[in-house]
Amino acid sequence: MGKNWVEKYRPKRFSEIKGQELAVEKITEFIDKFPKNKKKAIVLHGPPGVGKTTLAHVISLEKNSEIFELNASDLRNKKKLQAILRPAMEQRSLLKEKKIILVDEVDGISVADWGGLAELMSLIEKTNFPVIITANDIWSQKLNVLRKKSELIQLKEINYNLIKDILIQVLRSENKFIDNDTITKISIRAKGDMRAALNDLQTVAGLETPSEMVLDERNKEIDIFNAMRLIFKNKPTNDLLSLFDSVKMSLDDIILWMEENISAEYSGEELAKAFEMLSKVDVFKGRIYKQQYWRFMVYENIFLSYGISAAKKDIKTGFTNYQKPTRKLKIWLNNQRSKKKKTIAEKYAKHVHVSQKRAMNEFPIIKQILTSNDIRKELRLDEEEIAYLEK
Amino acid sequence: MISKIWTEKFRPTKFEDVLGQEHIVKRVQALTNSLNIPHLMFAGPAGTGKSTLALITVKDLFGETWRDNYLELNASDERGINIVREKVKNFARTKSLGNVPFKVIFLDEADALTPEAQQALRRTMENYSTTCRFILSCNYSSKIIDPIQSRCAIFRFKLLEKKDVEDVLKKIAIEEKLTISPEAMEIIYEGSEGDCRRAINIIQSTSSISPTITSELVSTIISNAKPKDIKVVLDYALSGDFQKAREKLLDVMLKESISGQDVIKAIQKEIWNLPIEPEIKVKITEKTGEIEFRITEGSDPFIQLESLLASFVLAGLGK
Repeated sequence: MGKNWVEKYRPKRFSEIKGQELAVEKITEFIDKFPKNKKKAIVLHGPPGVGKTTLAHVISLEKNSEIFELNASDLRNKKKLQAILRPAMEQRSLLKEKKIILVDEVDGISVADWGGLAELMSLIEKTNFPVIITANDIWSQKLNVLRKKSELIQLKEINYNLIKDILIQVLRSENKFIDNDTITKISIRAKGDMRAALNDLQTVAGLETPSEMVLDERNKEIDIFNAMRLIFKNKPTNDLLSLFDSVKMSLDDIILWMEENISAEYSGEELAKAFEMLSKVDVFKGRIYKQQYWRFMVYENIFLSYGISAAKKDIKTGFTNYQKPTRKLKIWLNNQRSKKKKTIAEKYAKHVHVSQKRAMNEFPIIKQILTSNDIRKELRLDEEEIAYLEK
Repeated sequence: MISKIWTEKFRPTKFEDVLGQEHIVKRVQALTNSLNIPHLMFAGPAGTGKSTLALITVKDLFGETWRDNYLELNASDERGINIVREKVKNFARTKSLGNVPFKVIFLDEADALTPEAQQALRRTMENYSTTCRFILSCNYSSKIIDPIQSRCAIFRFKLLEKKDVEDVLKKIAIEEKLTISPEAMEIIYEGSEGDCRRAINIIQSTSSISPTITSELVSTIISNAKPKDIKVVLDYALSGDFQKAREKLLDVMLKESISGQDVIKAIQKEIWNLPIEPEIKVKITEKTGEIEFRITEGSDPFIQLESLLASFVLAGLGK
């Protein structure tokens, strides 16, 4: 079958990189400025197959630098990393003037390798050479520190049309023929992953009757940040309908994420429309609960993804710093704070034949009644409870 | 010992003392006299005498031993129907004392139970029907499943009239040596929304400051208890700062432990004081009604209220 097409057609020069113009511009700026940058490392992050590693290699070639590559397994222990990295960090390259250090797929580090991650941090601070790091999910907890100490460049998923164009070019160079339908199918199911598309194309081209090939959906897992980006930043497409299937999170949690972040993207009319959608999502959720009729989940799903995406007039550009939902946390904190209030309400409620819930609701008025010492005694309030009332 | 809490101290202890529900009281009293009551369901708004009538009924039935023969549960406080069943089982295990052949279980706020939990309750009612009678109370009988309704004699409590509430308050004023001005009386009734317990709580709260109850003092007490920060929330929304508005909303709801329904009540009243065009007031009221409906249907109050706030942002833009 010859050479792997992914390697064969991997871009070597800036001019061959397609669909990541902004990232190219940013990384060039970073390398040119070095070592005057405030941050000595830059993280290229984005889903698989969008060109993170490729971009690192291309820039080193374009800037006539030697590339020194590390991967997650090299970070596994501190001594090993030091042994590999230290000389690279300190020595000047023999052959070429410049050197770039590439740490590939940093989110492959497991929690047990924190020592290695810490070592990487300290090296970033001391380095004489620019450090390029690639990651899929820059928002994972373990990369908190790295995120602060590095510049970030997001690489977007490759547009479907562009993938299709590239596939057609590759087929031409290879002198192969595959019908348009199949090329379209491959381009769609790649979901922005150029590497996946090329691998599929090469597989299909190797078959005798390519068009009969059954395409299995590449069930790519995406994180909630990417899901939100797809919803907020792009025009709604039917792909959104199954978007949340690939997010490893319950729909209830996704609702909380959306609730937290709608207002980061939308305002005015768009905001009102989006929240009307979220309100409907919640109504259907209630109906599922009440009727035990699970098909309503379809509507929950559609309004939450497509509905909220369609609430906007124009697509949103730029980077949005999505926030974690905080409502549950705030409720928990409040419960901690109002523990005493609860026990007081409980004692009161029992005594006067009402529910605790009502006692809590009417607490401002009840509190005034509880200023009487006799009543405090009557309810057997303890010191802490009285202290709470005195506050 | 007589309670110092007035809602207890002045709770009627005889059938003839219950105000505003004459037609119900007569029928319940007749049943009690026959010593053979069916399951009862008391439906009606808060503070109209449901728990009181249940207490009078058991005291009348059992006399001195009423505490041994009476179990009071609140469906909105018990964690699940299984806890309720467990408590009922333990209580019903022993036979009643005295000449009444059954014990009485009062299940308050029965409409807080889900339909499934009510089915379980129905079975419990059947299992112990020889030894126990249930008195269920609820705000809306429509929220109680039919099989339970059909097993109960249903009594619908009316919202107390102004005169009834005033009579109660005047009686308390004499005993506690208070003076309540007519204007204050007016405001108390309005603030109580016909809920007698709430009215009594308001005067006891106010009297802890001064025995002379003026309209000014009452207004302060009531407005303290009201979600006044709702105005702030709406102001943020109207000025277009949605994020501040939702933050403040959550804050108010958590700190004051007010329910979504109370918030929406306050919002609905506040609309008329806002600097927006009449046409928009109507539009936003319509939306408010829809959101209130969704909340009563059992939706997440916070998400629903946020959605309403987003409409207020639009209203602020004149749309």
